Amino acid sequence: MASTLGKTNSVGRSIPRVEARAKVTGKAEYVHNLRLPGMLYGKVHRSTVAHGRIRGIDVSAAQAMPGVYAVYTAADIMKLVPDPHYGPAFHDQPVLAIDKVRHVGEPVALVLAADVHVAEAAAQTIVVDYEELPAVFDEIEAMTSKAVVHEVLKPAGTFPDLKHLKDKRDTNIALDFHLRRGDAQKAFAEADHVFEHTFRTQQVLHVPLEPFVTVADPQPNRLDIHTASQSPSFVRIEIARLLGWPESKVRVKVPYLGGGFGAKLYIKIEALTAIAALLAGRPVKISLTMEEQFYQITKHAATLRIKSAVTKDGKITARECEVWWNGGAYADIGPRVTQKSGFTAPGPYDIDHVAIDSYALYTNLPAAGALRGFGIPQLVWGYESHTDMIAKALNIDPLAFRRKNILKNGRPQATGTIMQDAGIEKVLERLAERMQWEKPFDHGQGSIRRGRGIAIGFKASISPTTSVAIVNISADGSVMVYCGTVDMGQGSDTAMAQFAAEALGVPVETVTVVHPDTDVTPYDMATLGSRSTYHMGHAVKLAAEDARDKLMQLAQEVGLSAETAPIPDIFRKKYGMQAGNVVGVGSYIPTYTSPDAQGQTTNATPFWMIGATGAEVEVDTETGEFKVTRLVNLVDVGRPVNPVIVETQISGATLMQLGFTLYERMDFDAGQCTNASLADYKIPGIRDVPAVMENEAVDMVQQSGPFGAKGVGESGTFGVSPAIASAIDDAVGVRLTSLPLTAEAVYRGLRANAGKPLED
Amino acid sequence: MIPFELAEPRSLKGALKLLDTEDPAVRAFGGCTALMLMMKTGVFQPSCLVSLRRVEKKHAGISREDGGLRIGALATLSSLEQSAAVRKAAPVITRTLRTLSNVRVRNVATLGGHLAHADPHMDLPPVLIALDAQLTAVSVAGERRLAVQDLFTGYYETALVKNELISSVHVPAQDGRRSTYVKCTTRTADDWPTLGIAVSLKTDGTLIEDARVVVSAATEKPLRMAQAEAQLRGATVTDAVLARVGEAAAAEAELIGDARGSAAYKRELLRVHAARAVRQALAGGER
Amino acid sequence: MTTQRTITFILNGHPASAQVGNHQNLVEVLQGQGLCGARESCAQGLCGCCTVIVDGKAVSGCLTLAPLIDGADVRTIEEPQAGSKDEHGLDAVQQAFIETGAFQCGFCTPGFVLMTRQLLDAHANPSEDEIRHYLAGNLCRCATYPEVVKAVRLAASKRKKAGKG
Repeated sequence: MASTLGKTNSVGRSIPRVEARAKVTGKAEYVHNLRLPGMLYGKVHRSTVAHGRIRGIDVSAAQAMPGVYAVYTAADIMKLVPDPHYGPAFHDQPVLAIDKVRHVGEPVALVLAADVHVAEAAAQTIVVDYEELPAVFDEIEAMTSKAVVHEVLKPAGTFPDLKHLKDKRDTNIALDFHLRRGDAQKAFAEADHVFEHTFRTQQVLHVPLEPFVTVADPQPNRLDIHTASQSPSFVRIEIARLLGWPESKVRVKVPYLGGGFGAKLYIKIEALTAIAALLAGRPVKISLTMEEQFYQITKHAATLRIKSAVTKDGKITARECEVWWNGGAYADIGPRVTQKSGFTAPGPYDIDHVAIDSYALYTNLPAAGALRGFGIPQLVWGYESHTDMIAKALNIDPLAFRRKNILKNGRPQATGTIMQDAGIEKVLERLAERMQWEKPFDHGQGSIRRGRGIAIGFKASISPTTSVAIVNISADGSVMVYCGTVDMGQGSDTAMAQFAAEALGVPVETVTVVHPDTDVTPYDMATLGSRSTYHMGHAVKLAAEDARDKLMQLAQEVGLSAETAPIPDIFRKKYGMQAGNVVGVGSYIPTYTSPDAQGQTTNATPFWMIGATGAEVEVDTETGEFKVTRLVNLVDVGRPVNPVIVETQISGATLMQLGFTLYERMDFDAGQCTNASLADYKIPGIRDVPAVMENEAVDMVQQSGPFGAKGVGESGTFGVSPAIASAIDDAVGVRLTSLPLTAEAVYRGLRANAGKPLED
Repeated sequence: MIPFELAEPRSLKGALKLLDTEDPAVRAFGGCTALMLMMKTGVFQPSCLVSLRRVEKKHAGISREDGGLRIGALATLSSLEQSAAVRKAAPVITRTLRTLSNVRVRNVATLGGHLAHADPHMDLPPVLIALDAQLTAVSVAGERRLAVQDLFTGYYETALVKNELISSVHVPAQDGRRSTYVKCTTRTADDWPTLGIAVSLKTDGTLIEDARVVVSAATEKPLRMAQAEAQLRGATVTDAVLARVGEAAAAEAELIGDARGSAAYKRELLRVHAARAVRQALAGGER
Repeated sequence: MTTQRTITFILNGHPASAQVGNHQNLVEVLQGQGLCGARESCAQGLCGCCTVIVDGKAVSGCLTLAPLIDGADVRTIEEPQAGSKDEHGLDAVQQAFIETGAFQCGFCTPGFVLMTRQLLDAHANPSEDEIRHYLAGNLCRCATYPEVVKAVRLAASKRKKAGKG
């Protein structure tokens, strides 16, 4: 039956993912699957030293190997691109190392061969002569280290929120962000109590099960790039800039992603693949192995020093935060992490006097960038542990202490921005209810002790960013949505189909979402930071409304009622047959006010994301071994667009953060990652899921959001780490301040408490 | 991986002949799981691999032998897991297999390869040592029998001489011994063990006549804990005895620290879990 | 002897042959046949993304040498489900994964579906503990594990109903 422009209730329904059948039959399209005629495989030879000058590269054995098509070093790259440096914040990353390497695993040379095994074997024969330089690995040491990772820094100037980056020399500080509100110094001087703690997080990584993969396919006068990327528009801009071509000569296509989590953002292996393909004049595919992912992009290790002034009755009057972000050898998007996350470092609390200093640092480790939460989980880990440590010291219940200080709508956040539509209180109260916090809790006995903890965090959305969408109604009434949002598992295709269907009033089954293809889909900043539901959601809604208006005009023109006439009839009456299109366009950018020198702004973000977790644990006091027995996760996602997918997002985010909390840690020896495999870097499996998991999106509406919705992908991560640490402390009185939380750390804490510390 | 030759002999004798070479890059495999990992990382680059999967079927057989078991070295771990004979003669093996690697690896990995690989984190070596199992090793020179506990000479090192293969494993009749294996992981549930402890007790339920206590994973090879065993022999299990067992094991094991835990912490784990393993064995071995 | 050979095998019920290097693995063979549902990810047999059913048993394609497939019966996620009454040819396990939303990015999903079929063939009505143990060798970075447990249970009940009906 042909549809009319009626009314449907598409938003808020748990329809199955639009690509569900393709995924359960193994037929979903990933770049991983792509093979082109004449395609060469690229294998990278990587640096074996953390910091060194390249004295020479001997590729003769590789070149001589039968089956090798070409071997490239930076010298070859520079024949095509004289200045082959890229990056979203600084143009600091060379396509292949030029004169110098800055971390173990950095690409130094590339081998191309039709047989991937030949390329791999040849890459191993390349010999590089290094003059090793002093290296720096720790973010605090990087502040003052004489080992300088970059001699010169070239700001990229691409994004409006990073326009203030500077060309600096002889420093490892890529960006320092400062915020001052009120008079913290005075408040500390007058405080009843002052508490100061330092927290650390470890370097971890995303581990999408589809590792990075890009295919570049040179066409006459053009270049096609098929890439597992979260930001096709940025890849196009950056490749076009490197080649000195107009954007229209570069086509970037993205099918489904086998996971992203922030790893596949901005530009990664695309530049190397693209330039290699142009040099070779053949399609080139570079697929990283699981091991190679450990050298590509990671999550910042961070140190947070946090200090609070508190009154006798538990009101926080001032807070000082210093955060050092270990950005590794290339800035990637670290400066934005430093700033956007930095300004929420005091937590979701109503504090009059705040001072924040946040530093993005270069070190000789693999680069760090965005990872599900964009720095927020590192901060919540610190400020919520700090919150509980203060509550304990003042003998105030942790929930009561939070209630006393919680940041309410209508009150200013540290930037001065007035909170709106942020369900901080609601999330906290629902968590307390579900945890039955005010009822007695069985703490166990003998060698098994039980404990519980709660934690809450919040995040600002990235701003200002743009999304553009096109909605195209065909003459049979079916609908195409063209948008650059990448479906990496979060369900954006389904959500965008629901938005378009709702705005047009057509059944969601009639809507098809076209995957990112920069020849076809318009600009989108990127799929990151839980921005797509809100930003692209708005763009799709606007485009659908535009198309609807145009179709209604058309109906009027031909004397039909758009509400009752089947859509095909309108087209047929106009064009005499099944022909024509109605195309609507939507473009969305939220309002934003840049912060002043004090970090103050009246409009820091278009919306806030809220997430809280309650944890219950059982600790074995004889060994320190513990089990997380229950995780309760509460989030404010505005109105859930698709409740089942939303719950999966909450639960998935929580379990990913559980991995970062309990198991995952990149280990290094002189800058060499020593556990670059899933045998040694352990991510959670099905047996690691806590026996009880509860997830809830609280009843909220984001008034400014499309159909009341806002982002959901990260909020589940916020509270996990501190809630578990507090539960351990509640169980056995051991407070851990570094991640991951290991049984050994708990055991050592127990021994220290008993006055019998365990030797190292 | 770089190209190599592959032979698929139809008999064990044929395989041994192919292995009788000076070329160190010739190797045999059963399931080719561990070897595949070594080849993928370039740790081992073969000139020729000798597949054992087409040799006589009897080498994959599992049968009862003198009240115990005879297990062909080419028996897959999943065939052991599903074997009624194994469950009857040595249920601790069946229980151990449940968390050994994963279903797909168990479907192809063989017992012989599992032992010959000599990775100290493997689960069955400590169990087979606790059960006092023996193995038959064959080469062109003939065959010999040795105790599983004498197979392991060091980290990834065995007493097998060049081009010698394990052909079968023999588990003696357990005569009502109670056995258990404790796999202690400190990271994810599917991680390699931080510490493995296998215990086998000859007991009437109260008095312990004989005990074998084996530690693995935290040591360079699976090892019997003589002092811990001595504490149990002839004892009636009490908290005090168990405490002494834990102390003895912790004192005598040479433990190696790694990313899963420091040596000092592993010692504490051993102290506690050795005692618990004995109690678990006594309770019938269930965990 | 050479380092190459021609192998013949049954692929999803149909005869197939391939020219392979001894050093290649089963995932590469399948890619050569245009089948991409088995995917090499961890390359260590730990993640299950490359699960393939060989002679009725689940194996990791990334750890299976191509020449060993000679003469084998190979089944992959792309195999049409005979006897399915679903209009799209999906079996009870695939339907259950869709109905419970037991995947996000979908990269690991073929492995989970194939392993779940194996599990239900061996245990028609597995407990949660059995499900968790059987699927311990399949990793999902999107961590849809709670939904997978639900999907396995739903599939078990669908299969039971179909068997009765």
